[in-house]
Amino acid sequence: MTAEGKPVPVPTAETRHYWTACREGVLSYQHCLACSRPQFYPRTLCVGCGGARLEWRASRGLGTVHAVTVVYRPPTAAFRPEVPYAVALVDLDEGFRMMANVVGGAPETVAIGDRVRLVWEQRGDAVLPQFTRAEGGGR
Amino acid sequence: MKSLRDKYCIVGVGETEYSRGSGRTTRAMAVEAVRNAILDAGLTPRDVDGMLDYQGGDSTLANWVAPDLGVRLNFYMDVFGGGSSTEALVGLATGAIEAGMCHTVAIYRSMNGYSEFRIGGTGVRAAQPVRSLDLAQVPFGMRSAGQNFAMTFMRHMYEYGTTSEQVAHVKAAHSTHASQNPKALLKERVTVEDVVSSRWIVKPLHLLDCCVETDNATCVIVTSSERARDLRRRPVHIMGVAGRVSKPRLDFHWAHGPITRVAGYYAKDIVFGQAGIGPEDVDVTGSYDAFTFTTMLQLEEYGFCKKGEGGQYVSSGIIELGGKRPNNTSGGHLCEGYTHGMNMVIENVRQLRGTVDDYCPRAAEGVHTYDYAPGRCRQVKDAEITMNLGWAIPPTGSALILHR
Ligand SMILES: [Zn+2]
Repeated sequence: MTAEGKPVPVPTAETRHYWTACREGVLSYQHCLACSRPQFYPRTLCVGCGGARLEWRASRGLGTVHAVTVVYRPPTAAFRPEVPYAVALVDLDEGFRMMANVVGGAPETVAIGDRVRLVWEQRGDAVLPQFTRAEGGGR
Repeated sequence: MKSLRDKYCIVGVGETEYSRGSGRTTRAMAVEAVRNAILDAGLTPRDVDGMLDYQGGDSTLANWVAPDLGVRLNFYMDVFGGGSSTEALVGLATGAIEAGMCHTVAIYRSMNGYSEFRIGGTGVRAAQPVRSLDLAQVPFGMRSAGQNFAMTFMRHMYEYGTTSEQVAHVKAAHSTHASQNPKALLKERVTVEDVVSSRWIVKPLHLLDCCVETDNATCVIVTSSERARDLRRRPVHIMGVAGRVSKPRLDFHWAHGPITRVAGYYAKDIVFGQAGIGPEDVDVTGSYDAFTFTTMLQLEEYGFCKKGEGGQYVSSGIIELGGKRPNNTSGGHLCEGYTHGMNMVIENVRQLRGTVDDYCPRAAEGVHTYDYAPGRCRQVKDAEITMNLGWAIPPTGSALILHR
């Protein structure tokens, strides 16, 4: 990252497929062909069984907030314009958990149990998954 | 699990001034802290032949510190890491001695934690490039220690009804203890109301829920019980130790298992098993209070109360001086200074010796008033067993049980 900019993903051998899929509007995760566990983020082996046969699958991008916090003091200068912002752990309906911001609406109102849906953020050359409250979901 | 209970002792402790602008190198501070510990033990530099330290690219390694002291080493190692290292290195020191590699080990941590390398969002670390797999969280503005802990704290409040006010008692208690400690950076007593009305940093942490970043160096010296017998101080015996015990996933621990569970869940059977005691036998605890909430989580995970009842435990008066089991009697990371775990071990050693350096005129001789009014005594009467609950990142923990 640069001093001014927010962090932008630099794809590696393990994550290239994932970030490429993001640019195409697909939230991908790994599925272990040996034990059928979903896995996020991408790795070379299944952390559940050690299996090496991992298949990429596409998530529908719908999930539930497992935990959420609101950041008031920015971790770097790049996030100063964003505070306060919400960061959540989201349990996707496919059974994996990931972290992202919940954007749209007051960050303090995001609550555990809220239903959220995927939205995309263009950042530099990359596209990042983010979430927003699903209409009619949550409270 | 194998135990070396009572075969090894902590015989010397030392530190430099706690400040927010040392104006010194970590090398100079490390040398002073180790020297103070050597003198405290009644040793000479020739008596020390092992050295361990920990750092995160922010300190001076043993190969510079030992020669400055005139110490010739038979064993040394520089370990990468933060808070959970203290107790882990005490364990490694006993292992190195047990293996016959050396006989007396000085363990130090030297850091300009305020003026050079801050843990949080500002300072040198903020400019470091983001590594590839950090991208599961860092792009979303999750980087500092407080942010990394926040999910666990928020979920604990949701699941167990823990309140900000309950947990703020940790800061209030530790500030009370610090007011009896001439060394402490923050000696002013604060109230629960002060904590919950201070500004937000990251929910549920207010400013006063967070520790005080500090410039400081610290040292503890470990040797065998046989050698300890002839030294200057009453030996403090190592009953049990657990080092860097981890949750199932260290990298993205949120994805695996209950996020309100912390590593003490896995460490407690190791450390209590070696010591042959339980939480009810411990007189004084020393928690890793990088945040008020970490103290609450550790105390419940190690079994000082039931899981989920940490909020009640820390707000009950038990953890205050004069209470049943005082915690962080020096003021800890929240008030004395942030040392990545060392100062709570040093404090417990002094508690067990009965020579805590409070405002009692004859404290060094072990004469105390046990008057816990501001600016007086902080010695716990007849403390026999202490426990340190070390911590660093959310999924790793260490622990150490000592007795006099
Ligand atoms: Zn598998």
